[in-house]
Amino acid sequence: MSNIKIKSKNLNVYYGDKQALFDVNLDLNEKEVTALIGPSGCGKSTFIRCINRMNDVIDICKVTGNIEMDGMNINDKDLDVVSLRERVGMVFQKPNPFPKSIYDNISYGPKIHGKGETKSELDQIVENSLKKSALWEEVKDRLDEPGTSLSGGQQQRLCIARAISVNPEVILMDEPCSALDPIATAKIEELIDELKKTYTIVIVTHSMAQAVRVSQKTGFFHLGKLIEVGKTEKIFKNPDNKMTQDYITGRFG
Amino acid sequence: MNIVLIFLITIFSVSLFFYGKSKTKTISIKDNIKLNALPKFYGYYLVLWCSIPALVFLLVWSLFEPVIIKSIIIETAANQGAIFSDKNEANLIYEKIKAIHLGTYFGDIDSILRESALAYAKFINLFTNSKVVLIFGIIIASVIYSLKKIKNNNKARDDVEVILKGLLFVSSLIAILTTLGIIFSLLFESIKFFSVINIFDYLFGTNWSPQRAFVRDASSITAAEFEELKDAFGFIPLIAGTSFIAFIAMLVAVPIGLFSGIYMAEYASIKVRRISKPIIEILAGIPTVVYGFFAALTVGPFFRQIGENLGLTVSSESALAAGLIMGIMIIPYVSSLSDDVINSVPQSLRDGSYAVGATKSETIKQVVIPAALPGIIGSVLLAVSRAIGETMIVVMAAGLAANLTINPLESTTTITTQIVMILVGDQEFDSPKTQSAFALGLTLFIATLILNYIAQRAVKKYREKYD
Repeated sequence: MSNIKIKSKNLNVYYGDKQALFDVNLDLNEKEVTALIGPSGCGKSTFIRCINRMNDVIDICKVTGNIEMDGMNINDKDLDVVSLRERVGMVFQKPNPFPKSIYDNISYGPKIHGKGETKSELDQIVENSLKKSALWEEVKDRLDEPGTSLSGGQQQRLCIARAISVNPEVILMDEPCSALDPIATAKIEELIDELKKTYTIVIVTHSMAQAVRVSQKTGFFHLGKLIEVGKTEKIFKNPDNKMTQDYITGRFG
Repeated sequence: MNIVLIFLITIFSVSLFFYGKSKTKTISIKDNIKLNALPKFYGYYLVLWCSIPALVFLLVWSLFEPVIIKSIIIETAANQGAIFSDKNEANLIYEKIKAIHLGTYFGDIDSILRESALAYAKFINLFTNSKVVLIFGIIIASVIYSLKKIKNNNKARDDVEVILKGLLFVSSLIAILTTLGIIFSLLFESIKFFSVINIFDYLFGTNWSPQRAFVRDASSITAAEFEELKDAFGFIPLIAGTSFIAFIAMLVAVPIGLFSGIYMAEYASIKVRRISKPIIEILAGIPTVVYGFFAALTVGPFFRQIGENLGLTVSSESALAAGLIMGIMIIPYVSSLSDDVINSVPQSLRDGSYAVGATKSETIKQVVIPAALPGIIGSVLLAVSRAIGETMIVVMAAGLAANLTINPLESTTTITTQIVMILVGDQEFDSPKTQSAFALGLTLFIATLILNYIAQRAVKKYREKYD
């Protein structure tokens, strides 16, 4: 059994008057891929946005309960959000490269955190990040071109490289393949397989097949509640809960 | 008379609307046929047919009636033995005859004038009567025609569409033609000006003193006078003054406007935004003349006072005061436009930046502003073109002397101020001084046009990227 990296206890999230998460207790194992599945609006994305405090961006959002990373309280008011996000990277549903060059897209994070003080160090970080995200071979000759000139799948890998560039411990992926074609999706999945050796990964997905392919652990959310969580194999072959069974067999959702 | 006619036409059309509507209804019920259009379209059809031809005729008639009567009367007067050597004198006699007819002429009336006035009255009567008869004829003809069409159950809906399309087309045509008319009048007067003053003397001259050309007919300028005039119309001091004041204005407006735009878009809560945005926009609603006297009566003397205390000579009409107030006037343009462009930077870019651990100000500085830059540049350029076209503030606060200076404490002048100065008061219309106003107007127009074009291109380029 691997170590628990992130641990949430009785986590509740409210958007104004509306409660989006109800008492979620979910543990994420280190260097493993955890998939979160469930119908739209069930709170999967809300949950992962609690891990890097992205919900702070939304004015009306309120989080109660406990969520810890390596024993550190993420919800602590005095926590330095910047250093938390340095440790917890995120990849979004739609590729969102900055309107800058490929190089600047990746060097952006390290520069902000004061990593890579010399040009050669920075070059090294950019090269490593692009290699890890399996994009280096495709773009090494055109690092000056704008990130937005890449194809959709390449853009998403660029965003993964951007997340890796600050050397995080956890990477959150919010439906990273939903805007991509099957070939680009396959590449990203391959990449996730590779990345899990170094990083703890949480992936939100609407594709059961994807959850089965990439994850070791799966959590099923419904209407803001975590219905069932367990080894991916078990969830998809022999779930304890009838609702989980119905969802994975496509009877609702 | 015309008003009565228009009134009658309107009343008649409106009643036709109801007539057409009910008429078609009864037709459809009585003969049990399906109409090609809703009954109200037949009403519209009658209205349009009844009013448009008559109104167009009335318009055309009113345009040509005075011209025709005038030429007839002048000819009659000449036949009666009136003597006039040129067009102006003929006009004068015509005006006299008109005044006699209206009973407002108090000079001596000789037999020629009296006879002509009688003839004038006769013609006016004749023209008015025939106008009324013709208009009623037109209305009757067009109503008969359209009623017949209605009986045949024509496609009134389609016809109404065609007529409406025509109306809209004519409206936009008027807008375009007016613009063209203004441009051409600028152009022709400028050409007259440049036929006296060399265009290079104008563009590169460093001395602006048009009063030297006061009341001097362009056609009768002697060679000596021409030499003297040659360097009276130097454009450089004006463009320098204009750019200088606009520069000071931008120095005020760009930072404050941009920063307040950033605050509004990124930091202000919905509540603050809802209250403060309209307040900033009120600045744009203050009439420029109010800014002008604020600059001239409050800010200018204030600066002079400070300057005196510091031992500096400050003109009470200084470029600084004018530029500062103009800058304040422009703030809302920059602020509201940059607020809009910053707002339209997609949230996903900000999320991406936050997700690697950037703070809000880092995100704004390194991601949001670069992404919004073309739009921001566009808004600044629009503000610049607003600044160089601004008149009232500089007329009141910047002074009239065309100094070529870069000292913001001295008085300077702008293109628009000079245009006002040239055209105020009695002017000989074909003196080079008056014509120079058109040349200045044309130059200003071209400069603003270029700036606006660049600004719109920049804004458009930005839009394409994210839509």
